[in-house]
Amino acid sequence: MPGGGHCPDCGSTELVEDSHYSQSQLVCSDCGCVVTEGVLTTTFSDEGNLREVTYSRSTGENDQVSRSQQRGLRRVRDLCRVLQLPSTFEDTAVAYYQQAYRHSGIRAARLQKKEVLVGCCVLITCRQHNWPLTMGTICTLLYADLDVFSGTYMQIVKLLGLDVPSLCLADLVKTYCSSFRLFQASPSVPATYVEDKEKMLSRTLQLVELADETWLVTGRHPLPVITAATFLAWQSLRPAHRLTCSLARFCKVANVELPCPAASRLQELLAVLLRMAEQLAWLRVLQLDKRSVVKHIGDLLQHRHTLVREAFREGPVGLEAGEEEPRGQCGGPGQGKEEVASGSCGLPVGKRPASPALLLPPCMLKPPKRACPPPPVSTVTGDENISDSEIEQYLRTPQEVKDFEKAQAARQDARSVSNPP
Amino acid sequence: TAPLPGTTPLYPSPMTPMTPITPATPASESSGIVPQLQNIVSTVNLGCKLDLKTIALRARNAEYNPKRFAAVIMRIREPRTTALIFSSGKMVCTGAKSEEQSRLAARKYARVVQKLGFPAKFLDFKIQNMVGSCDVKFPIRLEGLVLTHQQFSSYEPELFPGLIYRMIKPRIVLLIFVSGKVVLTGAKVRAEIYEAFENIYPILKGF
Repeated sequence: MPGGGHCPDCGSTELVEDSHYSQSQLVCSDCGCVVTEGVLTTTFSDEGNLREVTYSRSTGENDQVSRSQQRGLRRVRDLCRVLQLPSTFEDTAVAYYQQAYRHSGIRAARLQKKEVLVGCCVLITCRQHNWPLTMGTICTLLYADLDVFSGTYMQIVKLLGLDVPSLCLADLVKTYCSSFRLFQASPSVPATYVEDKEKMLSRTLQLVELADETWLVTGRHPLPVITAATFLAWQSLRPAHRLTCSLARFCKVANVELPCPAASRLQELLAVLLRMAEQLAWLRVLQLDKRSVVKHIGDLLQHRHTLVREAFREGPVGLEAGEEEPRGQCGGPGQGKEEVASGSCGLPVGKRPASPALLLPPCMLKPPKRACPPPPVSTVTGDENISDSEIEQYLRTPQEVKDFEKAQAARQDARSVSNPP
Repeated sequence: TAPLPGTTPLYPSPMTPMTPITPATPASESSGIVPQLQNIVSTVNLGCKLDLKTIALRARNAEYNPKRFAAVIMRIREPRTTALIFSSGKMVCTGAKSEEQSRLAARKYARVVQKLGFPAKFLDFKIQNMVGSCDVKFPIRLEGLVLTHQQFSSYEPELFPGLIYRMIKPRIVLLIFVSGKVVLTGAKVRAEIYEAFENIYPILKGF
């Protein structure tokens, strides 16, 4: 009860603040007498401090929605705005968030999970509209761990029974390439490094298509392949000045983060290009290596379909990678050999094209890490007799038990000495 | 007596379960590849309350860290398995390569607990999960598979290199990799693993 007020009518001290429309009043809760009234009219300067009531507040729709869900929905809208998504995406993402919130498992989840759920809803919306957004981007924006994100994402897709299309590679290439700061000269970008955006995009797309065809994309994170392809496209457009630039330096100049696997993808892509170059007689005589082949990427891409068909052959079903003839195995994609393939195979250098390598994913071409002998046929029935001696080997002798107890007690004492209560 | 593990109307058991049960050839072309069992998870009820501190003190092959996990972790060498023993008397046995080995291992753990002075029994032994793996030996275009079988498949290369295929009949989850290696899990009987593989093989050949 605010200090010292009495009702003039009945003398009661039970005075209550009550707002009647836009006017605040002090009312006696016993007899209803209005003790004081607020000002009914406002001056012009007062009105400047008033705020309009938003539509959602006046309809009372938010009274049904919990504060936690309201916060989540606000985060969804914020994220959509930060990513500059079309407005229709915002409504879809909000709808997904509301749908998810109807499930008790989500309502009771930790705040960290609810935060990540915001990202999941936005990601699903983007995927369904073929808007190339990677999980890495969302995790960076939400300061979330990819492991937590992946768990929530898989759960929500299953829970809502959604059909989420795969990430569109071509669109991702366009978006990602456009983020490279190489299209205008600047203090950090030398003139020889500046490149035309359209030329770089089209060449990168062709290289990514080539990587996809030669099994370098399936099962791998899409971004490092695109980074490697962008680098090669850029180098090959002006090799004279750019061959000296490394992948790491390229990413630094372009102000793009270098993903770890990109270096490995680059080697695999170069190996494929070298294999293709072997099929062109006038390139064979040049004895290209992984540096010099960059100069000819333009020509190789122009004839890529034919060259891939000639340079590689489909492995027959059932042929073990280990049973490969020695000629076919060397210099295949993923082996990363630096010399010209035919030279390392002992063929007369530059005289004949190397015989086609198997067109297989790199993981199938590498030798197995450890020998996997087939397990011996088990004759266990489960009902065998269990000898006492076999069980006793797992039991401590009384002496061992005593020693163990002593050691445990000593450790306890040492602990209590170092950590006085 | 309970039916031997691995028997279903499709795969009746042989007279003695001495050889690994291989699937009968169905009417259509069989793949000729038999998935290998890699892990069996089973549970059994020892039927009495257990004092985990005593077990950890008096057994050589036990570890017990109550702050981390509320069970004793025990291991035996033959069959090479691990068991989680709870104070309620329930036990989980993992790591065996066949149903029979899992049962034998569980019985050995029960004997160890008996020798430690508890009136352990061997009630409701049940195989809870079986994991198998095999290799079809040809590469698989996972992006194509997820397009044609999207209601069963989940392929997110940003998260995991394999495709997760949830088969409805039998109810098995398959992990399919670009190298042609396939992992099958979620089976209660061996026949489900074989059946699931025979179902997926013609689908994979199409990619």
